[in-house]
Amino acid sequence: MKRLAMIAATSAAALTASPLHAEPLKIGIIESLSGAQTSTGRLYANAVKYGVDRINEAGGFNGEPVVVTEYDNAGGAPDAADKFRNAVADGVDIIFQGASSAIAGQLTEDVRKHNLRNPGDEVIFINLGGEAMELTGEKCQFYHFRYTTTAPMRVNALVGAMKESGDLGTKVYSINQNYSWGQDMQAAAAAAAADGGYTVVDEVLHDVNKIQDFAPFVARISSAAPDTVFTGNWSNDLLLLMKAAGDAGLDVTFATAFLDQPGNIANAGKTAIGHYIANNYDNAATDGKFAEDYKTATGHYPIFVEGHSAFALGALQQALGTVDFGGGDIDVTKIALALENTTYETPLGPVSVRKEDHQTIRPVVVSKVVENPKYPADETNMGFETVKVIAGEDAIYPVQDSCKMERPAE
Amino acid sequence: MEFAIISTLNGVTYGLLLFMVSAGLTLIFGMMGVLNFAHASFYMMGAYVAYAVSSVFGFWVGILVAPIVVGLAGMAVERFLLPRVHAHGHAHELLLTFGLALIIEELIKIFFGDFPVNYQMPAELRFSAFEVFGATYPFYRLFIGAVAVVMFAALWVLLTRTRTGIVVRAAERLPAMAEALGHNIPIVFMFVFGTGAALAGLAGAVAGAFYPTNPNMALELGVIVFVVVVVGGLGSLKGSLLASLMIGLFSSFAVGLDWSLANLLGVVGLGDWARSVGGLLTLELSSISATIPFALMLIVLLVRPAGLMGERN
Amino acid sequence: MMTMRNLLLLAVALALLVIVPPFLGLGWQNMLVNVLIASLFALAFNLLIGQAGLLSFGHAAYFGVGAFAALHLMRAIEGGLPFPTPLVPLAGAAAGLLIGLIAGYFATMRSGVYFALVTLAIAELFHSLAPQLEGVFGGESGISSMRMPWNGIVFGSMLEVYYLTLAWVLVCGLALWAYTRTPFGRLTLALRDNEQRVRFLGYSAHTAKVIIFTVSAMLTAVAGSLQAISIETANYSLFASNVSAQVVLQTFVGGSTVFFGPVIGATAFTLFSFLVSDLTRSWVFYQGLIFVLVMLYVPTGIGGVIQHHIHNRRQLDWRNMAGHYVLAFVGALLLTAGVVFLTETVAVLFGEDYAMVRHNAEGGLPPFELFGASWNPTGLLTWLLPIVLLIGGGALLIRARRRISTIWDRKGPSNATATEPLLAGGAK
Repeated sequence: MKRLAMIAATSAAALTASPLHAEPLKIGIIESLSGAQTSTGRLYANAVKYGVDRINEAGGFNGEPVVVTEYDNAGGAPDAADKFRNAVADGVDIIFQGASSAIAGQLTEDVRKHNLRNPGDEVIFINLGGEAMELTGEKCQFYHFRYTTTAPMRVNALVGAMKESGDLGTKVYSINQNYSWGQDMQAAAAAAAADGGYTVVDEVLHDVNKIQDFAPFVARISSAAPDTVFTGNWSNDLLLLMKAAGDAGLDVTFATAFLDQPGNIANAGKTAIGHYIANNYDNAATDGKFAEDYKTATGHYPIFVEGHSAFALGALQQALGTVDFGGGDIDVTKIALALENTTYETPLGPVSVRKEDHQTIRPVVVSKVVENPKYPADETNMGFETVKVIAGEDAIYPVQDSCKMERPAE
Repeated sequence: MEFAIISTLNGVTYGLLLFMVSAGLTLIFGMMGVLNFAHASFYMMGAYVAYAVSSVFGFWVGILVAPIVVGLAGMAVERFLLPRVHAHGHAHELLLTFGLALIIEELIKIFFGDFPVNYQMPAELRFSAFEVFGATYPFYRLFIGAVAVVMFAALWVLLTRTRTGIVVRAAERLPAMAEALGHNIPIVFMFVFGTGAALAGLAGAVAGAFYPTNPNMALELGVIVFVVVVVGGLGSLKGSLLASLMIGLFSSFAVGLDWSLANLLGVVGLGDWARSVGGLLTLELSSISATIPFALMLIVLLVRPAGLMGERN
Repeated sequence: MMTMRNLLLLAVALALLVIVPPFLGLGWQNMLVNVLIASLFALAFNLLIGQAGLLSFGHAAYFGVGAFAALHLMRAIEGGLPFPTPLVPLAGAAAGLLIGLIAGYFATMRSGVYFALVTLAIAELFHSLAPQLEGVFGGESGISSMRMPWNGIVFGSMLEVYYLTLAWVLVCGLALWAYTRTPFGRLTLALRDNEQRVRFLGYSAHTAKVIIFTVSAMLTAVAGSLQAISIETANYSLFASNVSAQVVLQTFVGGSTVFFGPVIGATAFTLFSFLVSDLTRSWVFYQGLIFVLVMLYVPTGIGGVIQHHIHNRRQLDWRNMAGHYVLAFVGALLLTAGVVFLTETVAVLFGEDYAMVRHNAEGGLPPFELFGASWNPTGLLTWLLPIVLLIGGGALLIRARRRISTIWDRKGPSNATATEPLLAGGAK
């Protein structure tokens, strides 16, 4: 009865109104903990909790342990808006969310409006997985931080690494989901054509997670005879596409963004071997120390989005170390400013915030599915082998013109 | 030509899969007048049971056990749950099965988790049947199609050519009379419902090994299956076969066609205007192939409200 | 019949709704706004099923249309259009009217289960097209706006939003109630009970159905625009099937045969979700279970039961019955505890976290944490406890129910009229 307890606690606090304790830093995870994207939402929540535990082990913040509460947005933007208000009512200072750009878009707008209406009582939104360009473009704002990659970062990394290893070829097909993320991927694949020395032979956008049968799409890909297929597809759309391609005996290399989603490798089976992924983090690309730590704490190696999400908390921990409210009121704006100036060393390289649009400059790992890797995926004998780690400054793209960030008065 | 042949092949096999799932639904509705909202959930249940059983006893045992288990579950629903709400009319039967669909989905999530499970076809079925224009055609697609065709033939013969079928149809038309003739109508209905559910279970066991088996599979296919039965005419086996094939072919062909209303208007010289308007007019057919079944349904409703093969309601 | 006492009750409820919220926390105010919106949505939905016997599985379409229409107007106001913010739901109403008319024309061509399927498919059509029509629906991230001040009211605080919502919900609710009293409202009831008779009376059943559908869609759209005003954004997930499903669940659990039934259901579900949805991952499972149990044992819903008891309050031997009701309540409580315990135990044992724990324990079955205690998966108590709860609660409930129905039977059928809903606890 976490919520009931919290309500009781806040009412009791309101009644007595005696500052017995210092104000604890409150973190809210607004994730898809039920509904179709539960599996991904759960992983983000795991990683955030892992990170908060590390902060609390090191003594918490402001003289109190950091409090973390989960809010289930049921995978929908309207529910997320509702849960955001509950979080505000509970006094949350920092919000974390990852699964779905649409929800990230909703939350960043909610945060913007809340901060406009409640100066002095701001909320920070740390975006762990919303990769839509507009979040650091049209919708960019001071209190939003994106601790993940975007389409151009992933595509450029893929193009660079695959070209080096000779797997890219000269003919590229791009198939993506018809919404902002898919469109971003398609645009990025087209933009990288000159650098990669390839031509985009055909591109197609399709409905998101509604297609049952990908055989017709594979037939269309097959008739264009590409060497490499770029796709930002995730979940069922990626799995079905790869299975259909495997069944049709299509001889192409897939360059993907979400191949490491749990269940994908097991479900795709041998079909998956040789395909590429560009990602924020991969265990195989590190010395394994963080992976072991994570396993000791949670019982498993970090998978999918857990690694880079935990690093976002690491960055936050480092930033919190530079501010001190002496046990008094927490000024969220100061934390945001500290976060801007934080460069966090991850096992893959430094992650820092670009002040103009609050996109993080971060390394990207390109890996390939092989048999008998160091860290097998989904309890199969397959997994990812690192092809190349692209440093943050090489992976980053220019600030979008559409970003007009208003900074707080200092 | 190449495109047409491959699209036809893909469309027909996908259509047959749709038929396989909708056959049980059509059977139950045609015989008993009950629209089973949980039908797609039975399909999902079939896939999961087959997965659980096959991981211990092998693929073929799974295929065999899944329809039996799901059929028994269907019988239990018909025997213990439906009669309670029968007095309140078909709407309540629909609502009850709707609630069951929610429960089944959540139970599956509790037991098997939210991720897709690793349910695979056996190695001996994983080969290509033939080669068309340089691409191999997986045998398993043909296998799914064959199961569907056998299902259709068996149902059709059972209903029209056997004594059991006659009793069932009599039970549907004049239950009191059939009962007076000494047939145990509740048992007949229980078996009809069980068979319908078992068919869904079989479809799930067969298709689940080809498509991913995950907790959303019922929701994803369910709506399309309802469209199939509305287009075909509820309760008509031939109608749902026809509608399944139509929707399969439409979705398959749409993928390869970058047509939009703007292109169409371009023929009469309004192309530029349409492109400037944007929105609905510039959507390419390939990007909305999943929307086509719904549009098709509205057209059929306008032209033939009872569905392609349905009787007037 | 609006008796003096009913009027008084209504006035008290109204007074509470107006006076209490300022003293509540932000979270509760937000919850009340949700309750109000859900109530209007359910009432509008119930116009179709309760009045005309048409079961819609796609009411999310009109809810979403209302929300988007309201947001477009809000954006225009933001851009300088001189339109009073409190009247924004009018845009939703207009859009709902238009879309409802078109969709209703198609959907009401068929009745019964066909109708349900067609409405479902129309909502799906919106759901799959909306993310692709950037101009209208703003792609997958949707469109957003901000409430603009009007006549000195800033609409920045939750409380202002609450009063605005309350006013609209009261007006629409009252209109709906009045509608059921009009001759046309009576005609729609006849549509539900005997469509053929309506046709023989010279009315076009199809036209009448289209009109009801349109009214229902319009008020649903008003509910949608109220939500748009409250959360200031809308995206295509408003058209999702779970939105349509929620209103079905709420209406029938609350009771579709009683005017206020849907409000009861909407309130109960919203409150429940506010309190427990962040606690358990099996929340949707419990919702489904509650719904199925209501369908099986209380087909008239909570509202139907209450109404039935109120109608017969003078004939009943309350003193004799009270004990049995308490017993039944205790039984139900034990049963619920058993089901929840069992579900949560299974959820833990089959969950991913436990799989990891087991993996690390090399195949053993380590104990797990639940409800603040540690349980051993192979321990007797872990399984005996829910079984005892289930059997004990079940036995208690069945016994109490039998007694209660005996008392009801003794009362005799003198008062029972044809239109009266069936008894909840079920004599049969």
